[in-house]
Amino acid sequence: MENKSLGEFEELVLLAVCILEGDAYGISVKREVEKHSRRSILLGAVHITLYRLQDKGLLQSKMGGNSDKRGDRRKRLFRITEVGMRQLRMAHEVRQSMWSLIPQFN
Amino acid sequence: MQSREKKKTPTMANWLASRFIDAHLLEEFFGDLKEIYEYRISTKGKVYATLMYWVDVLHLVIGFASFNLFKRRTNPAIMHKHYLLIAIRNLARTKIYSIINILSLAVSMGVCLVICQYIYFELSYDCFHTNYKNTYRVIIEEVNTDLKETSPLIGYSFGVSAKEDIPEIKHFMRQQRFNRGAIVTNPANQLIFHEEINDLLFVDHSFFQMFNFPLKKGNQKSLFDDKYNVVITEKTAKKYFGVDEPIGKTLRINGPPSPGDYTVTAVLEDLPLNSHLQFDFLIPIENYIEFGWGGAVKKQGGWNGFSVATYLTLDESADPDLVRQKLNRLIAQHNDNGIVKNVILQPIADIYMKSNIYADAGFISSTGNMQNIRVFSIISLFVLFIAWANYVNLSTARSMLRAKEVGVRKSIGAFRKQLISQFIFESLLVNVISALVAIGFAFLLLPFLSDIIGKEIQLSLIQNPMFWVWFLAIVLFGSLFSGLYPAFVLSSLKPISMLKGSKAVQVGSVNLRKSLIVFQFLASLLLISGSYLVYKQTSFMKGQELTIELEKILVLRSQQVAIDTNIIQSKFKLFCNEMLGLHVVSAVTSSTVVPGQFGVNSYRRLGQPESATPYTRSIFAGIGFSETYGLKFLAGGPFTEGMKEEAVVIINESAVHTFGFASPEDAIQQNLVLGGRQRTVVGVVENFNWHSLKEPHIPYVISLTNVRQNPYISLKMSVSDLAGSLAQVESKFRALYPDQPFEYFFADDAFNRQYQSEVQFGKIFFSFAALAIFIACTGLFALVSFSTTLRVKEIGIRKVLGADARHLVLLLSKEYVALISLAILAAIPMIWYWGSLWLSNYATRIHIGLDLFVIPALILIIIAALTVSQKTFTTAQANPVDSLRKE
Repeated sequence: MENKSLGEFEELVLLAVCILEGDAYGISVKREVEKHSRRSILLGAVHITLYRLQDKGLLQSKMGGNSDKRGDRRKRLFRITEVGMRQLRMAHEVRQSMWSLIPQFN
Repeated sequence: MQSREKKKTPTMANWLASRFIDAHLLEEFFGDLKEIYEYRISTKGKVYATLMYWVDVLHLVIGFASFNLFKRRTNPAIMHKHYLLIAIRNLARTKIYSIINILSLAVSMGVCLVICQYIYFELSYDCFHTNYKNTYRVIIEEVNTDLKETSPLIGYSFGVSAKEDIPEIKHFMRQQRFNRGAIVTNPANQLIFHEEINDLLFVDHSFFQMFNFPLKKGNQKSLFDDKYNVVITEKTAKKYFGVDEPIGKTLRINGPPSPGDYTVTAVLEDLPLNSHLQFDFLIPIENYIEFGWGGAVKKQGGWNGFSVATYLTLDESADPDLVRQKLNRLIAQHNDNGIVKNVILQPIADIYMKSNIYADAGFISSTGNMQNIRVFSIISLFVLFIAWANYVNLSTARSMLRAKEVGVRKSIGAFRKQLISQFIFESLLVNVISALVAIGFAFLLLPFLSDIIGKEIQLSLIQNPMFWVWFLAIVLFGSLFSGLYPAFVLSSLKPISMLKGSKAVQVGSVNLRKSLIVFQFLASLLLISGSYLVYKQTSFMKGQELTIELEKILVLRSQQVAIDTNIIQSKFKLFCNEMLGLHVVSAVTSSTVVPGQFGVNSYRRLGQPESATPYTRSIFAGIGFSETYGLKFLAGGPFTEGMKEEAVVIINESAVHTFGFASPEDAIQQNLVLGGRQRTVVGVVENFNWHSLKEPHIPYVISLTNVRQNPYISLKMSVSDLAGSLAQVESKFRALYPDQPFEYFFADDAFNRQYQSEVQFGKIFFSFAALAIFIACTGLFALVSFSTTLRVKEIGIRKVLGADARHLVLLLSKEYVALISLAILAAIPMIWYWGSLWLSNYATRIHIGLDLFVIPALILIIIAALTVSQKTFTTAQANPVDSLRKE
């Protein structure tokens, strides 16, 4: 598990799930990522990534929170797992340590 | 409620999603989709929201269908790979059947493709002009007391006034032909040719704005700066100038109405074949208006008499019907003879296909035939169905071999749905391979078709994206159509019966297979007798004893151009005398037309109102016409020296009735009127065969005219070896007319050219028939050889018990004889019905005799017998030891 590296988009989605803290589902994740990365993303891409991350064990999900807006349908709320958190941190650390090695910035 | 209705998400998209995405995912997806849909409606509007909804759904479908691949246990990709492998193995194992199957499908698809291309070409006439949708040709309909006559000709002022008075008209263009063709010379290199009537057109300058004939060389602005300018096509430029630069050079056009030296101002790219206007030279119409018919056009004024064809381009927003009413009013203002004239606006795209209803066939170089197109499309579908029937037949017959495979598949748990999809997949494979081969075939077949119809057709259809959609649809339909039945039959078998024992299982309905064979043979039989009928009718018409001895008539082309009519006259008289001096020539005349051609002029009887003008065809000819063409007089006599030109006529028997004369004798010395001039009837002749025997006898009026007007000189030879006496004629001609090319043809060739469309029709029909027989026979062959292999043991035992080969062949073929007889019986009423329907188009026609049924049936029986016996004979001859030994 540890060796599997995160793709760039996967990382963004994971981060968005962390930020949203319990309110992360398809659309909210899509909005969050769009807001920060300033690019437009297809809904399907978000869903595919969420499920892939869940398969990898980095996310877990449960159904809940129906609203009239959704025609009385429930959403699938995603939460980050321990493993996911660890992966995210590791990715961050790798970047941090590499940044620190760039000569001009020291 | 209404707002809710409005916010309903696209149903189709939802259905699609629910079809492909797992049920447990759907709830959240639909939730998300709905949420974002409403958000988008509120921010960017409904259209955008719906569009994006679709994009999202498709993305989800694509994403999650492939997602499923890795989650589910079964794997469609691997399964289909397996199906493909099995299908290819099966095709390879029974090579002969596969090749027959694929070949017959491919050939028939290829033929269909070529026919589609032909139809596409025929229907595409004049659609390459940017304005073709709002460009019309004006047709004038004259309503007489009892008949309506239509003509594309109208006075030359009509177009000008129409453009001035009616704001919706963007352009008008007038067009007329050089009335007799011309001799064209390049003075620089003395190249000299005859040009036909349709090759030289007078047009307005607006021609170049209305039509898209791109310029190859020359300046669009100064095409017709001078009256003596000419625009030619690339082909013509090559013909007269070779590789030299043609722009600015002179061409001497020698022929009425406006002979002279013309300067080439531009060269057009060669005309597209699908243009109803086919010309080589374009000359300003002012020449025609000024000089046409010896200046008579101008004298007659712009509203009556000699006239031009007018084309109009309307504004895009204009209502053609409104314009038509305005044009009617305009015509009524200038109408003086009391005949009601109506304007019809004929879209230019219709001119080629639908001109036959306007009786102006001579005005357009070639016209299409809707009936042919219908017949061909039906036949090509027929052929395609025969090939599919073949597939159904072969695959159900072969299915006995696959019974074991199906049994094994079923016992290890294959669902019926999977088996069906496997067999449909196989038929898809065969169809797709055939379709690819068919495209190759189409390329091979196209020159053949071009040859038959005399037009160089390219496979332009494959550049059309719509074509590929249809092509794909037809291939898919064919795969389903031909794959569904075998698939259902095979998958319905019980595994136990398939696996138990080694005996072959008889599957599928034998009756269905038999009726398919009957259908195939029925179709082939219809096609054979169809082509036989067309062939017989055509040769019957050609072989009819004509009243004119065409095979003895030689026609020379000549343009009598000189300023002084008297010179022409005396020169021609000299020529006639020289010709008659040759012992091979017995009569000479000059005429405007040759057999097969005619003009239509509105002669009426003196004293009758103009509204009582009957339909008559006209020939203008010189002295000696009745002698040359062997017309037999019922009353009166031929044209003689001293009769006044344009003042005397000879009419035929049927014209006597049309004009209402009591008897031929009665008609003599009566007067007819044409163009305000009286003409006296000096002779009445028996009806003669001037035009195709397809039509009944039609009233003809032969008018004596000056040789100057006549581009054809007909010589009646006293020997039938025309070619042998040509040299003598040529030397005299060259001596008298040194400035003219010596061009000639034989009158019977010209006459028989009228049957060209019948000959073409027959040839295409015959090719179809051959194809249908080929396909049906391959199917039959495969079926026979298959069923005999199944009975190999039975035959072995019969032989051991003492049956001889003859009996065995009979035994094996019996079944097929019955099928073919059934097909023949079913075909007889159809042949009879369709045959008489087709024959009713012809005035002179054959009777449907017994031979129409017997000969095609015999042909079919012989071919089928050869196919069947080849296989049955070898089986019957085989040593029974070989077949009985192996177990």
